[in-house]
Order: sequence, then C-alpha cells, then structure tokens
Amino acid sequence: MNPLEITLGIMTAVGGFVDISELVFAAQAGSNFGYALIWVFALGTIGMMVFGEMCGRVAAVAHQPVFNLMRHRLGLKLGLVALIASMISTLITTAAEIGGLGLVLHYLSGAPYLLMAALSVVLLGATMWVLPFKWIERSYGLLGLLMLVFAVALVAIHPPWGKLAGGFVPQVPAGLSSKELLKFGYFMVAITSAVLFPYEAYFYSSGGIEEQWGPKDLPNNRLTTTVGFALGSLLAIAILSGSAQLFKPANVGPQLPGTSALEAAIPFGRTGLLVALLGMLIAIAGAAVETCMANAYSVAQFFGWEWGRRKKPWEAPRFTLAWLIFLLLPFGIVLTGVDVMTLVEYAVLFSIIVLPLTYLPLMLLARDKNYMGKYANGWLANGLGWLFFLVVTLAAVAAIPLYLLTSGGQS
Amino acid sequence: MKPDAPIKLISQLLDLPLLDKDDRWCGVVDDVELDGSPGKATRIKALLVGPGAYSGRMPAWMFRVVKMIAGDRMARVPVENIDRIASAVHLNCAAEELRLHRVEDRVRAWIPRRGAL
Repeated sequence: MNPLEITLGIMTAVGGFVDISELVFAAQAGSNFGYALIWVFALGTIGMMVFGEMCGRVAAVAHQPVFNLMRHRLGLKLGLVALIASMISTLITTAAEIGGLGLVLHYLSGAPYLLMAALSVVLLGATMWVLPFKWIERSYGLLGLLMLVFAVALVAIHPPWGKLAGGFVPQVPAGLSSKELLKFGYFMVAITSAVLFPYEAYFYSSGGIEEQWGPKDLPNNRLTTTVGFALGSLLAIAILSGSAQLFKPANVGPQLPGTSALEAAIPFGRTGLLVALLGMLIAIAGAAVETCMANAYSVAQFFGWEWGRRKKPWEAPRFTLAWLIFLLLPFGIVLTGVDVMTLVEYAVLFSIIVLPLTYLPLMLLARDKNYMGKYANGWLANGLGWLFFLVVTLAAVAAIPLYLLTSGGQS
Repeated sequence: MKPDAPIKLISQLLDLPLLDKDDRWCGVVDDVELDGSPGKATRIKALLVGPGAYSGRMPAWMFRVVKMIAGDRMARVPVENIDRIASAVHLNCAAEELRLHRVEDRVRAWIPRRGAL
C-alpha cells in the first residue's frame, strides 16, 4: 500500500462527499429540528460505507461494475426498468447540481443565473473532455476540501457539544405535532436518499475499474470507504449543526443552497463567505461530473459498450456521446426555469425509489463465492448489507406518501 | 470455465458482458443459439449480441419500442471464438473480426480526436 495514494484517496472521498442535496437537507434539517437528525446522517453514512466497500471489492475482485451485475442478476426486462429508473433519477440529480452551480456562480458574480448555469455546463464538459479519470476525481475531490471551512466555522461558534453529541443517538424529538412528525419522517427519508444516492455506487464501482483495481487494492478500498466517507459525512453534520446553532433560534429557513454559506460568514466574515461559496461550487461541480458520468457508465455497461475516461474520448465513442448527452439534457431541464429546490426534492425522491434495485444485485454478487472466492461477504458484511437493504426498501416505500403528505417537507 | 463445460444458461451466461482478446468491452450475451436434437446433448452453438436478439426475451410491444430506438442489428459469436467464461465472456479474437464494434466505429467518426490528455 502506497501511503500517499491512500491519503489522496481518503482526502478525495472527504472532498467529494457533499453534494447539493446534502447541503440543502443538512441546513434545513438543522433549522427545523436542531440536532435531532444527526443520527440519520450517521446511519446513512454507515450504509454508504457498507455498500461502497462492496462496490469497490466487487470491482477489484470480479472486475465488474454495478450495472453489469444489475443486468446479469435482474435479467434484461427488470434490468431495463432499473436502468431507465436510475437514468431518470440521476438526470434530475445532474439538473439539480447544474442549477446549484448556476446559483452559486450567480451569488459570486452577480451575473444572470441561467447564463451562469450555461457557463457551468461548458466548464464541466471541458474538464471531462480534457482530463483523464484520475485527474477528474482527484482535482474535484481535493479542491472540495475547501468545504472544511464549515467544520472550522462550527468550532468557532462554540456549539453546545453535549447536545450535538446527543444528536448521534437515534431519536424522535418529543412533543412534535402529527404534522411535524410527518415532516420529521420526510427528512429522515430525504437524508437517507441524499447520503446513499445510487449514482455514488455507479461512480465508485466504475472508478475502481477505471483505476484497474485488483485484490491488492482492497485495504485502500476499505480505508477510503470507512475513514474517507466518515470524515466527509462529518462535513454534512457540521453544516446541519451550524444551521441548528445559528438559523433555528433566529427562525431562518434556509430555502436556498447559498444560505448555508452564511454559517462560515458569521464567524469569519467576507473571507469565510467566499471560501464557503468556493467550496460549495467545487463540491457541487464534482457531484455534477459524477452524476453525469454515472449515467454514461450505466448505459455503456448495460449494453456492453466500450467505456471509461481513462481512455481518450474517441477510444470509447458511444460512452463519450452518452456523457455529452447526459450533460446537455439536464441543462435543458434547468432552462425550463424549474426551481433548483424542486429539482433537489425530485432528485432525492426518485433516487430512494431506485436504491433497492441498485443494491440488491450488488448484495447478491458480493456474497457469491463463485465470483468472489475468499473475498465474498463475511457475516458482518452480509448482516449489515441486508439490514441497510431493509432500511432503504422501507424508505423507498415511505418516500412518496411522505412527500405528498408534507408537500415536500413544507408543511 | 470452458465453453464446452456444463453450464446453467440463464444464471451463468445470459447477460454477461463480452471482452475481446484486447480486453475491450464489445457487447453483452443477449441470447444464445443452441445445437442439438432429440436424444442428443444440447450444446451452445453461438452467442447472439445486439438488440435484434431481444425479440425472444421481452413482450412484443417492448421489442417494438427497442427496435424503434436501437434497431434490430444482431452479431453472432461462434462458440469457437470463446476463450473462457468467468464474470465476463472472454473472446479469443478482436471485436472487429465478429463485427461487434460496428456501431462503435460509426460513432467514432463523429468524435473529434483532439484536446484530451
């Protein structure tokens, strides 16, 4: 194991963990329910660690990314249904990220939102064309470490550490009305979805193949998915806690993604605001690249096309065409003028519905000794895997009723 | 596993990805062509690759939609061209020899060959 590679892998995972949905739901969760939803972030992160580790292990041992497995395990018809559903959910997520980029650039420059969204698409497309996979992953992940400003800002405002630590204990706050209880339930589902987005599995497992992992990379995979994801999740928890400390007492509802940046502006002034906005910009841009490529990976793997960004764009032509389309289509959605927050809500809603279809084939393969040999799931991975599969299935079943009953968390 | 070994068709072969001799992805096993007659062993004769092979695997209306979007082309991979079957089907020849990269090559003509590191 190369210590530099491991450190870079962990830092990349930290910097690339937060996306627009986590930014939005972390800030809103804190302003609505204080520290009471921290445990949902923590639980979701453990789920992400479990499934992420399996994705990486399967990629390293069976050399199979998620969508190859999905079609082989679910068959052509159900596999097609899963492909179309995941494409729709990831397309909406990309649209939310592009809208978020447009908003943050608008805050930074004052230029019109749609013009800035268009500029984002051009810049994203250029980096994806020019840079090979490792550079794309590392540059967005490492620059995303600017998001650490939220953790530093939290320390600077001296939160009640005891209360914050209490948020890690599973709980439902006492004294909530039935409407508030439903809203709490909606936030639980939305946060679970935002942390466990299916595109993360597609991107991570494809990344393992892109980097030509083998069994020797398994310790690195384990460290990245445990330490890297845990530290990344702490950033989201810092945003939630900052919001609980600053926005809840003032009855501020962070209705726009940019509101979160104020958490750094309050202790550090203009510099804090600027670093937070830049961190958000990079984190959202990284997620936009991941979602766009995840969709191209899915389609290419499902139909057996040449794929991968370690190859030159013309060496995997249909894959290249696919990611260009999956970048332009979401921009088309943004151009319709649909609100970014609505896109974020639809993204988490569609994603949670797709999650069981994503993780079932992965579970089945990761435990299959025919493919995985001595690297097949042990009792711990199997137990945790089925437990979290049950959690995401319950969340998927509850998602639409809760969305309708709470008008998307508004009531 | 070798292609003449006993194989559970549905679970082990259908929908597996194909890799050519240079480890390039070149399709998925969409269907299989079998050889045999009553009283004789049934053996795999060829793998069928491409949307044209979906016809027996989905309802007619669904196939009509697929045909409208992706066409009904189909390539045939004779069993002699299979090197081994693992988590993918590994071929012993280049994808071009079996016309598995026809669409890939057609799209390649539209992709500019510049600017990438």
